[in-house]
Amino acid sequence: MKNKIIAIGFITILFVCFTLNIVKKDKEISISERRKLAVFPTITLKNVLNGKTSEEFDKYTVDQFIFRDYFRSIKSFWSNYIFKKKDNNGLFLKDNSIYKIEYPLNEEYVKKSAEKIKNVCEKYLNEDMNIYYSIIPDKNYYLESDYLKIDVKDMQKIMSKSLPQIKYIDITNDLSIEDYYKTDLHWKQESIRNVVNTFESKMNLKDTSNINYEKHELGDFYGTYYGQLGMSLPPDKITILSDRIIENANCYNYETNKIGTIYDIKKWQTSSDKYDIFLSGAVSLITIENKFNQNGKELLLFRDSFGSSIAPLLLENYQKITLIDLRYISSSILSNYIDFNNQDVLFLYSSLVLNQNVLR
Amino acid sequence: MVFSSITFLFYFLPIVLGVYYIVPKKIKNIVLLVASFVFYFFGEPKYVLLMLFSILTTYIFGILIDKYRKTEKSKIFLAIACAISIGLLVYFKYANFLIENINLWLKNKVDFINVALPIGISFYTFQMLSYLVDVYKGNAKVQKSLLKLAMYVSLFPQLIAGPIVRYTTIQDQLENRTHTIEKFALGVRRFIIGLSKKVLIANVLGELVSTFLSSNEMSILYYWLYAISAMLQIYFDFSGYSDMAIGLGKMFGFEFLENFNYPYIATSITDFWRRWHISLSSWFRDYVYIPLGGNRTTKVKWLRNIMIVWLLTGLWHGAAWNFVIWGLYFGILLIVEKIFLGKYLEKIPKIFSHLYVLIIVMVSFIIFNGDNTSMILQNIGGLVGIKGVPFILPESIYYLKSYFIIIIIGIIGATPILKNIATSKKLEKIVNVLEPVFLLCLLVICTSYIVDGSFNPFLYFRF
Repeated sequence: MKNKIIAIGFITILFVCFTLNIVKKDKEISISERRKLAVFPTITLKNVLNGKTSEEFDKYTVDQFIFRDYFRSIKSFWSNYIFKKKDNNGLFLKDNSIYKIEYPLNEEYVKKSAEKIKNVCEKYLNEDMNIYYSIIPDKNYYLESDYLKIDVKDMQKIMSKSLPQIKYIDITNDLSIEDYYKTDLHWKQESIRNVVNTFESKMNLKDTSNINYEKHELGDFYGTYYGQLGMSLPPDKITILSDRIIENANCYNYETNKIGTIYDIKKWQTSSDKYDIFLSGAVSLITIENKFNQNGKELLLFRDSFGSSIAPLLLENYQKITLIDLRYISSSILSNYIDFNNQDVLFLYSSLVLNQNVLR
Repeated sequence: MVFSSITFLFYFLPIVLGVYYIVPKKIKNIVLLVASFVFYFFGEPKYVLLMLFSILTTYIFGILIDKYRKTEKSKIFLAIACAISIGLLVYFKYANFLIENINLWLKNKVDFINVALPIGISFYTFQMLSYLVDVYKGNAKVQKSLLKLAMYVSLFPQLIAGPIVRYTTIQDQLENRTHTIEKFALGVRRFIIGLSKKVLIANVLGELVSTFLSSNEMSILYYWLYAISAMLQIYFDFSGYSDMAIGLGKMFGFEFLENFNYPYIATSITDFWRRWHISLSSWFRDYVYIPLGGNRTTKVKWLRNIMIVWLLTGLWHGAAWNFVIWGLYFGILLIVEKIFLGKYLEKIPKIFSHLYVLIIVMVSFIIFNGDNTSMILQNIGGLVGIKGVPFILPESIYYLKSYFIIIIIGIIGATPILKNIATSKKLEKIVNVLEPVFLLCLLVICTSYIVDGSFNPFLYFRF
């Protein structure tokens, strides 16, 4: 009897999966993993003979496997709860929040990132300008000590050697673990008022802590880490802060040549990454104009995706903020788009980006 | 194609099993042969013709050797056939290694040749050599059916990573074999256990090994973690593959010999090699060591024979000096055991003889995994804190905690404890109920790891 169950069970699993895989319609993208899935390979004699078809078919079968997300959840569960592995594919769960291991501190890459910033300063900026830099700690910086994490203070020491003339603004004490989304790497806009206040204080700006922004909770948000970990967890909520200035600001997107708004509701409705609501997501160059401030003050914000959610809160002090993402635009062509004169300049990057040598 | 892939598990295997069990008995061998060539073609399209050529020459020379048996011609045909097989192996596997070493002595350097190692060539070459020698010696009947000889060589369960199946083991099974549900279920059991060893233990520990090799944060604890993980990884990887091969063989009615017998519980290196990659060590014993005279010769020649066998064993595993050192390391240790250490190992408490074997084998796999001498020395020296390496650092503590359960499972799984529990008479009823559920759950979990993971190398493919 036992042998029959084993044999029939095995055959059943094999044939059911085989049949469903054949019958099932292929998907183009994986929403949870936020990536395109492999498609059935193009069969040519050349590709068959050089093994490319086999390789692509292997990828196709894995990507299009039936109930792929459920199987990924099983793996994640097994790894986490049975094997007690502290991470799964570099991600781990702690108090219902997902973290990614970014370790070790890559000294060479941090130096290269600092060099990129230095090059921008030397090429475009002058000594009369107010120039600052700050490092946004990855959220696992705030975990207890037995997790692998980069010490932002060590990173800053490396940065300061290349950037001795630029003032560093330390924001590590203005954040805590609760200020980040549980399923995503980013900070919550409604939780970074302390960071804004620190910038205002260090950059000699007007204190805006008395502004009562309206809070709009938009709905559920499953962040980038959620899909990568593949475990079932409650979603985050995205809340945006708004006031008269933010609502009426004009955002000019240099990639689309279109004027939009700070909060891109269309992206919220259609994008697989709901964080794209902030300034339409990954954009190389964008300007925000404050219609209610004619003081002529401008900020050049060299930033990564974290900058999209903090920029609106800095707008009170400026007539114009230009956001530059050096991951998507080369620093060598900036003068084609930006007239460098007497702006304030803030280089605001997360430790994740600085540790990866992705600035161009 | 690898066994632990979706392509194999949920496309290739159901189709082949379905067709194999539907067609009449006389066509089953053709189905298996076609399936084996498709299997090989999928992974190594351009070298299918090479395998076909090897099969064809083995087939023709097998017939010639048999036809001229007990004449000088038979010996000549054997020599030609062996030269062709070994020649191809040397060309594809060792040519660049030879050129590299010759170039050390030449002013005008010889260019490297642009060839990739055909998957499984070391395994199928040894199978063909054993067939030819057995036919020559009269230990095996010559195979007059090209189809059956091709099937013996190319049978997909053991084609690309062994075990090295002797022709004499399956010559009768090629003609006639039984298919029962009990045998099929045994095959399924063995296959799923092998798949789990590979996917759930070897691959997971392989990630730790890779992380260690790319880390700069070395500590004594990390070196030990690496050494133990690498040792477990290679065992579970290779024995898992052998289990899958044996299991698949059973599903198609074949009975292959065992390739592993809990090598990490050995009490001497001699004992270890009776338990590790049995099909390879017995092949070298029967086709190299004994023909050279074995131990029935002068002491000097006996020692020479041992060293030749272990030099070849090392080289069989790869065309690099670390494999040569690895083979000679074992050769020297076996000689030391045979001359004097063996008798002491029998007398001392078993815990010490086990520890002796484990340390020796652990060091051997550091040599095995080493890309160069300095890396090998660094990884061995790190175990005892050479160059002032700290005892622990955050990364090593993190990975110890993270992989602790898997390492413990690996250590227990490398002993017969679980097998003894599963076959205990007292637990028979519980095992009968739980085993099918356990096995099918394992299959689902392995599938989930394959679907999610990208880390899936078979260590023994490079041989």
